[in-house]
Amino acid sequence: MTSKNRLWQTLGVVVLLSLLVPRPVLAYLDPGTGSYIIQLLIGAAVGLGFLIKVNWNRIKAFFSKKDSGDASEQE
Amino acid sequence: MRVNKSSAVGGSFRDPSGFVFVVEGQVYRQINQVYREDYDRLMTSGLYAALTRDGLLIPHTEADPALAQGERAYKVLQPERLPFISYPYEWAFDQLRDAALLTLRIQRAALEHGMSLKDASAYNVQFVGCRPALMDTLSFEAYREGEPWVAYRQFCQHFLAPLALMAYRDVRLSSLLRVHIDGVPLDLASRLLPLSTRFRTPLLLHIHLHAKAQRRYADSDVGGAALARGRQVSRISLLGLLDSLESGLRKLRWRENETAWADYYAHTNYSTAALDAKAAQVARFLEEAGPQRVCDLGANTGRFSRLASARGAFTVAADVDPGAVNLAYREGKDKAETNLLPLVLDLTNPSPALGWANEERESFAERGAFDLVLALALVHHLAIANNVPLERVAAYFAALAPQLIVEFVPKSDSQVRRLLASREDIFPEYTPAGFEQAFTRRYDIVQCVQVPDSERILYWMRQKAER
Repeated sequence: MTSKNRLWQTLGVVVLLSLLVPRPVLAYLDPGTGSYIIQLLIGAAVGLGFLIKVNWNRIKAFFSKKDSGDASEQE
Repeated sequence: MRVNKSSAVGGSFRDPSGFVFVVEGQVYRQINQVYREDYDRLMTSGLYAALTRDGLLIPHTEADPALAQGERAYKVLQPERLPFISYPYEWAFDQLRDAALLTLRIQRAALEHGMSLKDASAYNVQFVGCRPALMDTLSFEAYREGEPWVAYRQFCQHFLAPLALMAYRDVRLSSLLRVHIDGVPLDLASRLLPLSTRFRTPLLLHIHLHAKAQRRYADSDVGGAALARGRQVSRISLLGLLDSLESGLRKLRWRENETAWADYYAHTNYSTAALDAKAAQVARFLEEAGPQRVCDLGANTGRFSRLASARGAFTVAADVDPGAVNLAYREGKDKAETNLLPLVLDLTNPSPALGWANEERESFAERGAFDLVLALALVHHLAIANNVPLERVAAYFAALAPQLIVEFVPKSDSQVRRLLASREDIFPEYTPAGFEQAFTRRYDIVQCVQVPDSERILYWMRQKAER
């Protein structure tokens, strides 16, 4: 539960910060406009997958608990 | 490294955060005022301690501030000395991939400590023996939530694109890194990669679509900058991006059986007894010569290089065959060897000086400072397969090191007969006498021994004093 809370907390902070800090990038490398945009898109696409991946054990545990419960009921 | 009195190192000028310079043979890194905050954060956040503890970052000490060059200095660092600077186009597949994985691991550690890598250049990674480590202390900046990874494009160009080309097209395409100083352009990689790579998600995303996006938004009229402005990459997205890059890298496999030399020892005409006798004789020469820094040319998988490294000499095991070098590296990695550095090097065209004003990357010979060259079962390939006159072979060896252990393989040997089988023999001087005549113009022969059970001769030579 705590890690779930932490997750929502992180997401909340991210959203908040994204509203608050429009800053120029001060890097000596040019990230490249195309590379920046593809990074935004890929990031959005893989972010969810990554969340599922790192929480996979918890998700599996959640469902397997249910499954084993069902199984014992059937017996 | 150059050993002038206080000179900036040629490849250290792009990043205004600081630069590397040499004073009386000692290498220093200046931190400029502009990098002050980030440097202090690196040192106080626990990131420096964590990275150096795990051997991921080359450690440094803070040196005398009086060494500073110019008024912009904040601090002067003295990094732990590296025995040899190597470049990505000299690395075998596993070396480049390990350097890539190291970079991702460091970026993850940096994010945990509130920092991020501001560059991801393969040139910032060096091998300490068979272990990669980041050598650029200036690569870190404060991470600000929502910012994209500014080094993403560079990472794809320096690591993912060449590795994908090596894995899916041809391992020799690592040479593209020698042509393109800032990594393989993604549009080029995308064109060269086979169609099947479009069905591998990480390669589709990070190379093919990435190249497409670059092309589409290259023109400022398209409004890419306006599209990107103000948009954020969340931390989760950033971690997902790193994870996707890593899984892409881990799935890349080098196709091992494609190269010519990796099974050389299995196909040689040496009997086991003769090979052992040769090793014993080379070991005796090495013991007497007592070198600190050895360059084994034509090292294959490094069997004879290890005679030198095992007795404590730092040894570069160079070979033209990327497969053999890969095997040498894997063995060194498994055994955690610290003074053996396997490198891919085509002796008929060794790494030149490259980059801006040809000063960014030094030639192979410039970086050497070797005491001894080991050249076993090599000279016939240079003299006969490549038509290099013996005197020129001697001259290049002499430019690399004052001492030489060299093997002469006569024409009667089946290996040489094979080289001569399909061509006219235009090498009348290729005899033991001709060989000695060519080499003794530069060297004195300290000892020469016929390898038992073979027709080959081993020489230990020392350069003449007056040269």
